[in-house]
Amino acid sequence: MPELTMAEIGYKRHLKVELFPTIWCPGCGIGTIMMQLAIVLEEMGLDETNTVIVTGIGCTGRMGSYLKHESVYTLHGRTLPVAEAIKTVRPELNVIVVAGDGDTASIGGNHLIHTIRRNANVTVLCNNNEIYGLTGGQTGPTTPTGTKTLSSPVGNPNTPINLQGIVRSSEHALYAKTTVYHLQHLRNVMREAIEWEGFSFVDITSQCIENNGRRIGFASANEMLTFYRKTYKRAAKGAEALDEHEIGVLYPAQHPSRNGRTDGAAITNGHATPEPSVTASAPAAAALAPSEKAKPQASDEEKARRRAESQKKLALMQKLDPAVKLRVAKGEIGLADALREAGVDPAELEA
Amino acid sequence: MRKLVQGNEAVFRGAVAAGASYYAGYPISPSTEILNIASAYAAAHHQTFRFLQAEDEIASANAVVGASLAGAKAFTATSGPGFSLMQEAIGYAQKVGVPSVFVDVQRVGPATGMPTMPGQGDIMQVRFGSSGDYTPIAFYPNGVEEAFRVSVDAFNAAEESRSPVVLLSDTFVAHLNEVVDLDELAADLHVTPRDMPPLAHHIAGFPRFFAGVLMYESGPSAGEPATADADEYLRQYYDAKHRHLDVAGRYRIFEHGWNREAEVLIVCYGIVSRVAAPLADQYALFRPIRIHPVLDDELREITQGYREIVVIEANDGQYADMVELALRRDVKRVPLLGGRISIEAIRDGLDRVLAGGPAEPPIPDAPAERLAPSSLGIG
Repeated sequence: MPELTMAEIGYKRHLKVELFPTIWCPGCGIGTIMMQLAIVLEEMGLDETNTVIVTGIGCTGRMGSYLKHESVYTLHGRTLPVAEAIKTVRPELNVIVVAGDGDTASIGGNHLIHTIRRNANVTVLCNNNEIYGLTGGQTGPTTPTGTKTLSSPVGNPNTPINLQGIVRSSEHALYAKTTVYHLQHLRNVMREAIEWEGFSFVDITSQCIENNGRRIGFASANEMLTFYRKTYKRAAKGAEALDEHEIGVLYPAQHPSRNGRTDGAAITNGHATPEPSVTASAPAAAALAPSEKAKPQASDEEKARRRAESQKKLALMQKLDPAVKLRVAKGEIGLADALREAGVDPAELEA
Repeated sequence: MRKLVQGNEAVFRGAVAAGASYYAGYPISPSTEILNIASAYAAAHHQTFRFLQAEDEIASANAVVGASLAGAKAFTATSGPGFSLMQEAIGYAQKVGVPSVFVDVQRVGPATGMPTMPGQGDIMQVRFGSSGDYTPIAFYPNGVEEAFRVSVDAFNAAEESRSPVVLLSDTFVAHLNEVVDLDELAADLHVTPRDMPPLAHHIAGFPRFFAGVLMYESGPSAGEPATADADEYLRQYYDAKHRHLDVAGRYRIFEHGWNREAEVLIVCYGIVSRVAAPLADQYALFRPIRIHPVLDDELREITQGYREIVVIEANDGQYADMVELALRRDVKRVPLLGGRISIEAIRDGLDRVLAGGPAEPPIPDAPAERLAPSSLGIG
């Protein structure tokens, strides 16, 4: 039976919530990435003693200051040399780079190419919002052709950079594309990327409503997310490449999990074995317990039922005192017991 | 054992003796031997020494920053154009307080300039190359044994001041071969251990946040921007400045020698001081080895008895400006430009400026055949 994982409750201990609200505009997609990353870190048992965050400059770069992990807020575009050196000197650390598309692909483009070539064992989470947001909305390397921005008033004359092609130029690198609408997928691929032995790149399409979305005709962040929901589809199994509006993971040619097949196990890099959970990606879960944990193909009805159940659990959580909630999050006390203590009938969980 | 050792090699051996365990670099004459030696050393000591040949000097410098924050004593070596590319990362290392060593083997600039000829044109780049205010520490040896010693000093000063320290050199010092016993030197060394906890080993429960942007650095508000808080800027800036000056004060290394009774004092450093050695009978010598911050007090005291001060350097008066500023007194300048560092050029220059002539040497017209239309029909 699917449960609300502890990670979904306990992720907050990875965040400096006392610094909230964040500097990001209302409706920004970066907060979503940060929350999902916090959940993944919690799921994987990663903390400030085994994980280092390296961020670039720009809106996305500020994420390091909200994560309770030691982090290096590098110069604009210089995340990858810093991250690669940290990983070289301290191979036992998980090094996660969080940077925007401009930082990663434009000013840091040369570093990207060569870090991929050297197959540095770092993970890049690229917030791809197709714009330079912090400076007000200038054309970025991933801005689509024709998009009007502050620096291309008659439309971007150039084609966007092919991140997939650059990453896939390596025989070792993992490339994943997802969006901030597809939360489960986002978490799955982030986790898979962090577990990947070698260079991994997660290209996360996200919305910048204030400095891009409105200018190109969206009324709200919600509209942009709806657009992602309607437009982006999971790539077919065995796909060799992802189309513009496809999400998925592309493995190197020789890898057993190549192109989403679950007949082989993803290579893990010897992290403290994470607890299997429903959010584990299919290949990774298969590696942990091949027979039981392979992801079942859920029907739409089943999915709806699970969603309702999870929402009910979250609603019940809200009835708890914050201190008790924290204890539940830490696993000191079960949710049913906590509800009973709070005078709520735990039978409501089943209802 | 006494052996023939090259200047570049001595710099590398000094780094290793000082505990360096990470090198990142990009090939550029005349510093390339350090890269070569580092790669060979890393191959033979892969458990204790890591090596990265980066895609450019920007990556090298940033990799040094990352490696140092991760706990390694890290360094890179380059030459003028590469040093220009590293300035951004040096500024970051100054702001964040990253112990690191940057070796700059100078050649004739600007730009690609004269890649194989010696120059000293980066003296002011060391001081002011990055944006904003900072107080760099820099050393400049003039021989192989000294390169080894000063390399160790540079690493120690970097650890003590928590800052990027520059080790200057030049084509001739780098490619000078001298017989020295580095093992004996290495046996009797003071090495400052790393004081700063490496990444993911934070203390007091607050994860650190190493940021180039001005942020509150400790306590629960660590990670909150201080980008409009002048007081916080002053606290951090003066804290770093005082720390750097304190540490620099422990390395007041210079040479005051030759004929100290002479009337004229020559100020020079690096290879120029070696080339000028035949003048030892006629002139006194002041040679700064810790070249930044400028040795103001020593300069003021030592220069008092001399009628004239002549700064001879392979640039157009970069250090002479600093000497004038320190002494508030005019000095004469002999610039040795275009890689022409020879005793003849020094003698001619001294004769000219001491007779009241200009610093600029007489420049012969270009040969007629070079001005004539090319035989290939171009021009």
